[in-house]
Amino acid sequence: MKHSFALDVENYELWLSPGQHGYRLHLDDEVFAPVSFSHELDGSGTLVIASDTIPVKFAIDGDRLYLHIRGRTYILRYRDQLRTLACLDDQASHLVARAPMPGVVIATKVSRGDVVSGGATLMLVESMKLEFVVRAPRGGVVERIHFGVGDSFERDSALVTFSEEGR
Amino acid sequence: MQTLPFDTVLIANRGEIAARIIKTLRKLGLRSAIVYHDADADTPAVSMADTAIAIDGCSPIAAYLDAHQIIASACRAKAGALHPGYGFLSESAEFARAVERAGIAFVGPSSESIELMGDKIRARRFVQRSGFPVAPSAVEEDDPETFPSRARALGLPLLVKPSAGGGGKGMRIVRNLDTLDDAIAHARREGLRYFDDGRLYVERYAENPRHIEVQVLGDSFGNLIHLFERECSVQRRFQKIIEETPSPALSPKLRKEVCEIAVGIARSANYRNAGTVEFIFDGREFYFLEMNTRVQVEHPVTEMVTGIDLVAEQLHIAAGRPLRLSQSDIVSKGHAIEARIYAEAPERDYVPTTGKILMLEYPQREGVRIDSGIVQGQQITTAFDPMLAKVVVHSSTRRDAALASERVMRELVLLGCETNIDFLARLFADETFLSGQIHTGYLDENPHVAAGQCASDLPAVLAAAALLTRPVRDSADAVPTLHAEIGKWRN
Amino acid sequence: MQRIVSRVDTKSQDFRLNVLHNRRLATELKERQRSARFDRPARDLGRLRQQNKLFVRDRIEALLDPHTPFLELSALAANKAYDGEVPCAAQIVGIGIVAGREVIVHADDASVKGGAWYPLSVKKIVRALDIAIENRLMVVHLCDCAGGFLPLQAEFFADRYHAGRILRNQSVLSKMGVPQVAIVMGHCTAGGAYVPALSDYNIIVQGTGAIFLGGPPVVKAATGEVVSAEELGGARMHTSVSGTSDYFATSEMHAIAIARDIVAQMKRPTKEAIPQSAPEPPAYDPSELYGIIPKDPRAQFDMREIIARLVDGSRFHEYQPRYGQSLVCGFARLHGYQIGVIANNGVLQNESVLKGAHFIQLCDNNRTPLLFLQNTTGFMVGREYEERGITKDGAKLIMAVSGAEVPKLTVICNGSHGAGTYAMAGRAFDPRFMFTWPHSQISAMGAEQAAGVLTHVKARQLARDGGRLSDQELAAIREPILEEYRERSSAYYATSELWDDGILDPRDTRNALSIALSASLNTPIEVPHYGIFRM
Repeated sequence: MKHSFALDVENYELWLSPGQHGYRLHLDDEVFAPVSFSHELDGSGTLVIASDTIPVKFAIDGDRLYLHIRGRTYILRYRDQLRTLACLDDQASHLVARAPMPGVVIATKVSRGDVVSGGATLMLVESMKLEFVVRAPRGGVVERIHFGVGDSFERDSALVTFSEEGR
Repeated sequence: MQTLPFDTVLIANRGEIAARIIKTLRKLGLRSAIVYHDADADTPAVSMADTAIAIDGCSPIAAYLDAHQIIASACRAKAGALHPGYGFLSESAEFARAVERAGIAFVGPSSESIELMGDKIRARRFVQRSGFPVAPSAVEEDDPETFPSRARALGLPLLVKPSAGGGGKGMRIVRNLDTLDDAIAHARREGLRYFDDGRLYVERYAENPRHIEVQVLGDSFGNLIHLFERECSVQRRFQKIIEETPSPALSPKLRKEVCEIAVGIARSANYRNAGTVEFIFDGREFYFLEMNTRVQVEHPVTEMVTGIDLVAEQLHIAAGRPLRLSQSDIVSKGHAIEARIYAEAPERDYVPTTGKILMLEYPQREGVRIDSGIVQGQQITTAFDPMLAKVVVHSSTRRDAALASERVMRELVLLGCETNIDFLARLFADETFLSGQIHTGYLDENPHVAAGQCASDLPAVLAAAALLTRPVRDSADAVPTLHAEIGKWRN
Repeated sequence: MQRIVSRVDTKSQDFRLNVLHNRRLATELKERQRSARFDRPARDLGRLRQQNKLFVRDRIEALLDPHTPFLELSALAANKAYDGEVPCAAQIVGIGIVAGREVIVHADDASVKGGAWYPLSVKKIVRALDIAIENRLMVVHLCDCAGGFLPLQAEFFADRYHAGRILRNQSVLSKMGVPQVAIVMGHCTAGGAYVPALSDYNIIVQGTGAIFLGGPPVVKAATGEVVSAEELGGARMHTSVSGTSDYFATSEMHAIAIARDIVAQMKRPTKEAIPQSAPEPPAYDPSELYGIIPKDPRAQFDMREIIARLVDGSRFHEYQPRYGQSLVCGFARLHGYQIGVIANNGVLQNESVLKGAHFIQLCDNNRTPLLFLQNTTGFMVGREYEERGITKDGAKLIMAVSGAEVPKLTVICNGSHGAGTYAMAGRAFDPRFMFTWPHSQISAMGAEQAAGVLTHVKARQLARDGGRLSDQELAAIREPILEEYRERSSAYYATSELWDDGILDPRDTRNALSIALSASLNTPIEVPHYGIFRM
C-alpha cells in the first residue's frame, strides 16, 4: 500500500525505499535515485534528486506541507491511508441512516422515491423521553423506510435506506 | 518640516495601511496610536504603534466601524489627528464630522466632500453639471416607473450598480435584456446587504475598458494639484489586482487631458486633502466613474515615481497648512507596478483562503517596496479583506518593472496559506500583460493566467514531500536493507 | 576468498543447446505458475466482483510494502492433484515485507472452489505455519474460506498433520510470542472460525466478513433459528458484542491498512548475528546457469560453476579441495551473509562423506548457515566400499546434518536419489527451506535403473509361469513403468505434493535463498550438540 499525497486536485501515490546512497523515490513506473534532504536552518534545506540539487523552503502543519521550490509554492496534504480508507467507506455506509440509540418512531417526514439532500429531516423519533430528528447523512433517493409510526427499533437499526439514483 | 499642531495621530485602521502610516509618523517624529481588535493583536501595526488601544465589537469588522469607541480611544491617546486609512470609516462623513467635533483633525477631506462623493448618483450629477463627461446612464430614483425602460434605452451592454458602495459589490453586467430584471434584483439585494441602501442606477458599459485614475492633492486654500494617473485595469470581480503608473494606454496628450479633468472635478468640489478621481477609458474618452475621498490602496506606485510621501502630505494638509508643492514640482520618473497579494485561490475562481502564516520571507531588493500587514505566526481568517501585502516595484521601464515583479514573486516565500503569489508571477510573465494590452476583461479573456499550470517539478516536489513526511520516511527506514536491495521481485 | 575461475565455454555448442533447453523449461515453469495464479473460470471471478471482494493476489499486493520482494512458496502445490482443478492448492503462502517486517502471508484463494480446504491446502497451511514457527516469522492470514472439502475429509481431518495442526501451530506461535494478524474477508466457518480467533489480532470486513461455528443453514437445521450471516457473525456483532474480532473495517482495503498498522506496532525479532559484509552480485551472470545445467540429466557438471553464479562476487573459500572431491565444501557469502556450501560433485564416497560431516561441524561451531546443493545419485555401492564402511561413514554425515543447529537451506539442482537425498538435507531433515529446479528428478532410484529393476521383477514373474519374453514384450512392459516412474519423480510432482517449498527458475535462486536465509536468522542458533557418530 503506497503513500498518497494530494496536490491541487490530484492525488499522487508514491513510495520511498532505502537505497545505497540516500533514498529511492518510486512514482508510477519511474524511479528517482538517489533522493535526499538535508536540513539547514528552520524551514529550509537542500533536496537532492538524481543529479539535481534544489534549495527548498518548507513548513509543515499537521498533514499539510507547504513547499517553496524553484520559485513556486506547493501545498500538499499527506493522505493517511487509514483515515482516507475509513472515510471513503463512511460515505458508502451513509447510504443508510441508522438509529443512534433505541427508540420509537413518532413521525416519518419522507416517502419512498423522495429526493432528499444531505441534512434533510427524515424522521422524528423518541428515545429516553427525548425527541430527536434523524437526518439524511447525504443526498439521495429514499429507497426504503424501515419503520412506521409507533414502531420501535434497536440501536444501529437501519431506519432509512437511500439509493444514489438520479444523483 | 515645520512642526505640526499635533504630536500624536490615531490610526483608525489595521493591517498594511496602518503599518505604512506609522512609518511616516515615525519619519515625521510624531507619536502613533492605534486601535485594534483582539483578532489583530499580533499584527505588525499593533506592535509598531507607540500606543495601542483595544476595541471590541460583535465582530472584528464591527469594532473598526464603531466610531464612538474609536473617537474615545483617540481622546484617551490625546491624539490631535486621526488618520482613517482606507475602507472602514474612511469615507463616512458622519464619522469625519464626529472626529472634528471631538476637536481632532480628520486626515482627509471635509465631511461635505465625503458626502458629495460618497453617493455615486449625487457625485455623477455634480460632475455632469460641472461640465465633465460621465457614461450614459439611467438613475432609478429619478423616476422609478420609467427606470426599466430608460435603462433599456441606453443600449447594451449595461452595468447595474448600487448607488452606495464600491469594491465591486452588487455590480452586474447585462448583455441580454432578458436578464436585466434579475441583475437589478441582485444589485438591490447586495446594496441592501452591504450598504443598507437599495438604490440603483444603470449605465452603459464599455466593453473591455481601461480603469484610469488620477491622484489629486488639495489644501484648504484652494490649491489643487495632480500627481499623474494610475492604471488599475487588471481586475477580478471588479477588484483591482495590479496597479501601475504611468498607464501604458495614454499618450502625453491623453495624460494631460485626464489629469486636467480630474483637477477640474476636484476644484469644482472644493476638494481638500488626498483624493482619487476614477475614470473609465474606452480608448478615446474618459468617463467619470467615482471619486475616492481617501488614500488609495495603490497610492505607493505614485509615491515611487514621484518620490512624494502622500501620507506626509495628507498630515500636512490636515494640520491646516498650504500645499508645499506646486504642479511643476511633480515629476514622474520611470515606471512603478503594484501587485496585491491576496489569501485566495485564483485557480478556484479566486475563493478566499485561510491559514496560518508559517513562513514569511520578503526579498530585499533595490527598487522594491513591500507594504505588509502580516507577520509569521499570524492566523489568516475570513474576518477581514483577504489582502495580505502589496509588492511595489519601481524600474526604468514598464517591462523591467514587470519582470522584476515576477522575480520578486518567485523569491517571496509565504507558506501556510494559499495565496495568489504564483498567479501574480504567471501574470507578470504573460506576453499580453507585458505588451500593455490590458483592460478590465483581461483575466477573463486570458483564463490560462488564473488556471495555473501543472507542477513542472513534480518529482522534486513529491520527493521533498516524501522526505519531509515522517510516515513516508519511517516506512522506508523500516524495510530491511536486503529486501530493499532486491526491490520488487516475484518468483 | 578467491573468485572461482569459470571453465565454462559460453560459446560452445553444448552451452548453447543447454541454454535453449533450460530456457524452455524456465518459460514453461513461469507459464504454469502464471496459469495457476491467474487462470480462473470467469464465473468465479464474476462472483468475487459481485461480492465486492478483491482477487487474492491484489489483496496481497496491497498488504505488502511496495517495491519489496515477495517469495512465494509452493505456487504449484496440487498441480498434479484433483485433476488440476485446485491451482496453488487454493492457498497463497509467501514471505514478504509488511511495514518493514518480514512476515509469512497466508491467504485463502476464494476464486478456487470458494477457497475450500483440500488435503493439500491443509498441508500447505500447516507447512506455512511450520515455517513461521521455525523462523519466528509473524503471520498475516487473509481468511476467505468456504470450509473443508467434505468428500475428502478423511485425508485432512483427523491425523496429526491434518487441519487440527493449523490451530495447534497457531497456538504454538502465540505462545512463542510470534504475533499473527488475521483479516476476515469472507466467511470463516467451523474450524476455519478459529483461525482469526487464535490470531493475536484480527480485523473483520463489514458486509463480507463473518465468523461462526455454524453458518445460517447449520443453525437452521440444528435449532430452527433463522438468522442472517451478518447478524450471526458479522463485523458489527463481533467487534461490538462478542469481542471475537478486534477491528471493524469498512472495506478490504481499509482492513489491509489496519493490518499494516498493527504489524508496524510489533517489535522486530533480533536477528542472529552471523558474520556479514556488504553484499556483492556474483561476478558471473546467473543467466549462464541455463548453459551449465546439462540437457541430459545424467551428464556430470562441476557444481563450482553453479556456486559461482549464486554467491557474492563468485568468491569461494574451498575446504579440503584435494580430498573427497565428489563433495565440494566451502565458505561463501550470500547477500553479505556468510554461508557454508555443501555441493555434490559426483557419487558420495567415504572421503567425501567424512569431509562433509567435518565441514558441517565447522560451520555449526562458527554459526554459519548451511546451503546444500543436491545433485546426487546416492552413496557408492559395492564390496570395496562396504568394507571401507560406506554405511558407517554415511551415518556420520546423516548424524551431522540432523544435529546441526544452524539454519539449513537445500536446493535440488538436478538429481536427488537414494540415501543421498537424505544425507544432503532432504525434506525429512527439516531444512528451513527447500527448493528445486524445474528439470530435477527426485526418487529412491534413478528412473532408468528403477524401470530396469521393475521390468526385471515383472519378467521374472512371467517367466515363472513358463513364458519367455521377447525384446518387444520387455519393452512394452518397460515403457509404461518408466513413464509413470518419471512422472512421479518429476519436480512438478514433488512440488504438487509439497515435498519442497517450490520450484525456482535457476536465475531466481540467489534472491530466493537470500530472503529465506534472512528469515531463518530470526531464530537464535542453539549451541552445537550431536548424537553419537559411529566411528
